[in-house]
Amino acid sequence: MNFSRYKREISAAGAFVAILIVLAIVAPSFFSAGNLRDLLINNAPTLLIAVGMTMVILVGEIDISVGSQFAVCSIAAGFLAKTGMPMPVLFLSIFLVGAMMGSLNGVLVGWLRLPSIIVTLAMLVLWRDALRWLTEGAWVQNLPENFQWFGLSQSGGELTIVAITLTIFVAFAWTLRNLVAGRKIYAVGSDAEAARLAGISGPTVVLSVFALMGALTGIAALMNAVRFSEIPGNSGVGLELKAIAAVVVGGAAITGGRGTLVGTLIGVALLGTIGTALTFLGINPFWEKAIQGAIILIALVSDVALGRLEKNGRSNIAGAAA
Amino acid sequence: MEEVISPERPLSTEQSLRERLFPNNEWILLIVLIAECLIFSVTGSNFATSGNAFEITRLAVEIGLLALVMTPIIITGGIDLSVGSMMGLSAVVMGSLWRDGGVSMPVAIAITLFVGLAGGALNAAMITKLKAPPLIVTLGTFSLFRGIAEGLTRGIENYSGFSPTFLSLGQGYVFGFIPTQLFIFVPAIIAVWWWLHRTAFGRSFYAVGFSQEGSRYAGIKVRRRLNFVYCLSGLTAALAAVIYVAHLGQAKSDAGTGYELTAITAVVLGGASIFGGRGTVLGTVLGLFAIVILQNGLRLSGQPAELAGILTGVLLVVTILLDRLSRASVAKPKAASEEEFEVKNWQVGVLSGVIVAAALIVAGSNWLLVRSIKEERGSAAPTAAANTNSPAPGKKSVIAMMPKAKGDPYFISCRKGAEEAAKELGAELLWDGPTDLDPAKQNEVVEAWITRGVDVIAVSVENKEGISTVLRKAKEKGIKVVTWDADAEKDARDFLINQATPQGIGETLMDETARIMGGKGEFAIITASLSAANQNEWIKHIKQRLESKYPEMKLVTIQPSDGDRDRAFQETQNVLKVYPNVKVVMGIAAPAVPGIAEAVKQANRSDVKVTGLSLPNMCKPYIKAGIIDSIVLWNTGDLGFLTVFTANSLANGTFKPGDKSVKAGRLGEIEVVGDEVRLGKPFIFNKENVDQFDF
Repeated sequence: MNFSRYKREISAAGAFVAILIVLAIVAPSFFSAGNLRDLLINNAPTLLIAVGMTMVILVGEIDISVGSQFAVCSIAAGFLAKTGMPMPVLFLSIFLVGAMMGSLNGVLVGWLRLPSIIVTLAMLVLWRDALRWLTEGAWVQNLPENFQWFGLSQSGGELTIVAITLTIFVAFAWTLRNLVAGRKIYAVGSDAEAARLAGISGPTVVLSVFALMGALTGIAALMNAVRFSEIPGNSGVGLELKAIAAVVVGGAAITGGRGTLVGTLIGVALLGTIGTALTFLGINPFWEKAIQGAIILIALVSDVALGRLEKNGRSNIAGAAA
Repeated sequence: MEEVISPERPLSTEQSLRERLFPNNEWILLIVLIAECLIFSVTGSNFATSGNAFEITRLAVEIGLLALVMTPIIITGGIDLSVGSMMGLSAVVMGSLWRDGGVSMPVAIAITLFVGLAGGALNAAMITKLKAPPLIVTLGTFSLFRGIAEGLTRGIENYSGFSPTFLSLGQGYVFGFIPTQLFIFVPAIIAVWWWLHRTAFGRSFYAVGFSQEGSRYAGIKVRRRLNFVYCLSGLTAALAAVIYVAHLGQAKSDAGTGYELTAITAVVLGGASIFGGRGTVLGTVLGLFAIVILQNGLRLSGQPAELAGILTGVLLVVTILLDRLSRASVAKPKAASEEEFEVKNWQVGVLSGVIVAAALIVAGSNWLLVRSIKEERGSAAPTAAANTNSPAPGKKSVIAMMPKAKGDPYFISCRKGAEEAAKELGAELLWDGPTDLDPAKQNEVVEAWITRGVDVIAVSVENKEGISTVLRKAKEKGIKVVTWDADAEKDARDFLINQATPQGIGETLMDETARIMGGKGEFAIITASLSAANQNEWIKHIKQRLESKYPEMKLVTIQPSDGDRDRAFQETQNVLKVYPNVKVVMGIAAPAVPGIAEAVKQANRSDVKVTGLSLPNMCKPYIKAGIIDSIVLWNTGDLGFLTVFTANSLANGTFKPGDKSVKAGRLGEIEVVGDEVRLGKPFIFNKENVDQFDF
């Protein structure tokens, strides 16, 4: 195993472990089974979105519209559930609704070559305001009995959410690493021109990645919605930044071509734990945002520091020690 | 996100006038702008007046300054997401220096500008020294700056009471009609224009944007250029914050939330390329006004404000698309090896298919959704009030009513009652307000109503100091002003429709909690956002009541929910584990209470009860299940109903100051004490009575 390849992931993991050690000493109750289970369930939707975001970032693009897409999918899920649609069909429908919105981004970015940050900025505003206009912020209430926890018991539902999330995560992680489809994403992100010459259609890869991003957002919205018996009209605000931050903290390069889903998992775990950790440590919640910002910046600094060491090590072995 | 950039145009010496004036197809925007002005002069009341023109520019100044400096940043191929957060940090720094530090205003401003510069320098250092991507660096400082602002003020501090001289910077007029801040904004536009387009130093930023490596070889000090723009950006954000504070009359940590995205939208709409090397100051200014006029015009035409967001999004995609296509058609015959831009036939086919399908699905699902929601509401007709002309005075009174936030379920339920009353009275009701948490938006809406000309303005006030200035202005213009739900300064309004005082709410909440707990034990509070003014006021009274009446009870923690149900859920899970002795969790934001209840339910903590301030409908299942013991609220529909009735009576003169009561339709005679119309005491909803209410 070549550890130097996973340097960034290892440094993020180091930070995570450090937090866990502090927690183990100061607030051992953090590691109660109940708390770990809650953390897992609460961060499952974020993880799904971060998986999609990792691929988007790997091809060198970005998607800041996922928070608004999430809100649209949540409301759509509630509405579809009220028509009495069985759960598996609902799952598929939301997958398609999300994929549809993602494909719209993908077409504009991949085929028409528009800059992703602008396209998704437009969609961020567009979907959110369209939803507000139509629903006027109303909640979807009186959902059918079989909606919450997929009609199972609470623990059964929780298990299903975790199982679905982990299956998706493992499938994508394995595909990215081992299958042609996954390697194409890295190829396009590393050097679009070289990929083209190698016979990879960049636009199609970008389109598929955005479509998957949307579909994963849809599933994430559903995984989030089934935990409750009502669906609020304005969810997912700021979710895009959370996902991007997790991916970057997990070691992916925003310029594309570098990053792994294992890193993303660590990033989600790190940022998803901070809020809860602060409460357990008794630190005032006012500082939460500042700490999150600091973590992103520290990840950047460590990234650069590690990068420098590597460069020095290659050109001048003596210099690396200094 | 790299892209090969083709030469802008053939290197011929002759350029048409169009190309010289609008190198990036800014003329599209000019046409949009003219179209907007034409349409809104017909549909909007008093849109095409000089007064409105000046108001629009006043509202554009803060975002305009940010956009102006964002232009050179985007030209170098960078981005700065931290400017909005920097405004928040600068505002609280200035406020605290002035109020708590005992520093004079000019010195406070100077230090604030320095803080802005320092923040910009932090961005610059990370970007140039560490060679980190600007997007990520400023994403980090976006959280960091806002976080520091919230941490410093504990979210609670709201600095106000600034001197009139300072406030005139943001609210005053020079020569009686030109807003003061234009004397900063217009020179700033000219200066940046001169700098970018007429100096070698400015032109060098384009070179940096085209190719950093190339410009370095050409002897341009790239790092120095980048340091310069990011520092300038921080400084400008601080300046924008100073103007913002003077404009609103208050400094809080939430200043400038979301401004970075509007600023970037303006710049990109103005033809700047996000990859760098392209963009003009003229384009940015046009882009800025295209957005601001759209918002203002829709408001004056009585159209829903959400349309502005939808149209801006569409406009953004269409302009870059047109730009893309026109560039592609120029570039193609020139160089065959040029980055290929072939859209194959089958792709076009699939493309159109997908777009049509997506549009159909979205339209279809939305239509169904709207229908189902409307049915649920018992077909309460929405009055978007698409008026055509200025209302004939004396016939039908126009009542403009503003909630704190349009999407909040609490206000949605108020609206129902207001619409019912308006229908009964035959009055025209304009219902508009902020969609986002942005204190500046309320002022903007009132300004638009003054311009439009309405009979009564009824406001649920978010920021007391900030909005009072515009309300006074409305009164001067002969518009009756009432406040409802939350009050402004007393002299800025005629009447307050008072459903409950903050003290009444705080004490009722505390008494309920004490009743449930039997007067002893630990409890926790989940609030809205940490900087929410109302909630902080209630918490103050809750704490006072706790100290004076319930010595055996202890408030262990206050956690934020940001008005988000899911966040409230998560925070409650944490609270239950960290503070296992908590017996009651009190939620003081409507969406938070169901989130808390769900968390308690899922944790199987039947020993913990929930109470708080919320709406009966969203809490009903939990109240019936016995998880929520009780919630405190008034009849929100009646509040809206009473407000419209009072406003209407004020407008037609049947109700005036000094009267002891006001007639309010089905509510009967309502008591008036001094300048307060009193709806009655807060009501407690519980298992027994919750079924009688539907809101």
